[in-house]
Amino acid sequence: MSARKMRRILWSTTATLGAMMAGMVTAQAHAQALPPAGTAAGTTVSNTAQASYTVNGQAQSTASTTATFVVDRKVNLTVVATDATATSVNHGQTGAVTRFTVTNNTNGTQDFLLSLSQLVPVGILTGTDNFDLSNIRIFVDGNNNGVYDPATDTATYIDELAQDTSRVVFIVGDIPSNNALATSAQVGLEATVATGGAPNTQGTALIPTPLNTLNQDNEIDVVFADNDNDGLLGFDALRNGRGWAYQTYDVTTRNVNLTVTKSATVLSDGVSTLNPKALPGAVVQYCLTVQNATLLTAANNVNLTDILPTTTTYVPGSLVVGSVGTAGVCLIGGVPVADDGSTTGTYGGSYNATTRTVTATIPVVGGGSSVAASFRVTIN
Amino acid sequence: MTPLFLLPLAAAVAATPAPLSLETKVLAETRVAAADGTTRIALVAPRRIVPGDQVVVQVVYRNAGRQPIDGLVIANPLPQGLAYRDAGAASAAPELSVDGRTFGTLATLRVPVAAGGTRPAGVGDVTHVRWRVPNPVAAGSSGQFAFRAIVR
Repeated sequence: MSARKMRRILWSTTATLGAMMAGMVTAQAHAQALPPAGTAAGTTVSNTAQASYTVNGQAQSTASTTATFVVDRKVNLTVVATDATATSVNHGQTGAVTRFTVTNNTNGTQDFLLSLSQLVPVGILTGTDNFDLSNIRIFVDGNNNGVYDPATDTATYIDELAQDTSRVVFIVGDIPSNNALATSAQVGLEATVATGGAPNTQGTALIPTPLNTLNQDNEIDVVFADNDNDGLLGFDALRNGRGWAYQTYDVTTRNVNLTVTKSATVLSDGVSTLNPKALPGAVVQYCLTVQNATLLTAANNVNLTDILPTTTTYVPGSLVVGSVGTAGVCLIGGVPVADDGSTTGTYGGSYNATTRTVTATIPVVGGGSSVAASFRVTIN
Repeated sequence: MTPLFLLPLAAAVAATPAPLSLETKVLAETRVAAADGTTRIALVAPRRIVPGDQVVVQVVYRNAGRQPIDGLVIANPLPQGLAYRDAGAASAAPELSVDGRTFGTLATLRVPVAAGGTRPAGVGDVTHVRWRVPNPVAAGSSGQFAFRAIVR
């Protein structure tokens, strides 16, 4: 038996099965409730007409010959990025996930092969791709909960996806920690329709039946009917049995290099005006300077806290926040900040007498810049 | 006469071929580009049929007997997998039915809905088509009907 003949026999077996199944389905469902992808591939459609008539007043009837054809495989799929917005990540994050949804619009159960690219054509997505993920992998949502679970979501291809059903696919990768300029990475997922019918076995990519192949009336031909879902720019093409979708990793959370320096200056001791000493009753100004050494990245919501020594007493209303001063001056252009837990301008301030803690909240310390805060105490 | 003679006679009566020969064909509509740049629809054997394709179901009858045939009615239940679209080119329009019992034009048919009551039928609801031949079909003469359908 030639391989071809063998295949034909196999096909015809599937065809009969398909026809039986289709018959059962349509017997229950109303004609309107057919799946969008249509009659399952391999279904045999048979048409027979009946005639009734009289000859010389005698009623007779005749059944026609039966015309049949086999419904072929109309290959179609949809691949979309599940999330409308980019995935937010931070530097050095491992196992960063983007999600995609692959839908089988083929009139049959198919496997789907998955691959990815980090070289997304420019213009498909907004933003600029300026880094690649490492250790990047593809996993199928095995337990169908839409969330990447490393323990269960281990399959690297979609197995036996029924007609008109979807499956979530994850791209999982690590964000480099040593690339300070990394802000955005674009990834693309490709799904390829493959042969189905063998559970737990990865099918091979479908190949459309050549148009001029003869004697295929009762075989299930493969007809590609998928669109070009990413336009001229993208990888996908019309009727190629594949689909692409793209997604962005945006580095939105970053670590910044913050340092705080603290100094104390005796402002007055009630004795000497020229060179005051730290005597009991002297007023001392503490100066806290926070410096953000990371260029281009601001630090948000910086809390400066200082616990006062028990031998000192906080001078109420002495909290000031401003730009760093020079030549021994703590700050210039300072803004007095209320120390009752409220917000003055954009700065927040508080003094907790129980814990003896002074807190100044600075909403933004710009990349490469510094902010100073000062307050006063008296020595007991 | 003995019953022995009757047996072959009965067999001969049963074996008499029906005077009407009835043949159905399903053909696929395919767009063919002509040399002048236009596209025409050609009917070809249903080699490659996928859901959404348009097919033409043809029914050809011929009176192969020696007597005229009266009151010819040809009914064609739509097979699973085909949805009625319209009458074929150069064919009398069939009477339609959504239940196989009541036939008429589409506008006269109604379909029950699950919530109770009925709604007007659409072409997708048609389950049977039927043609009635008004005149006797003379011996040796023939005719044909056709309807177009979409593969579900």
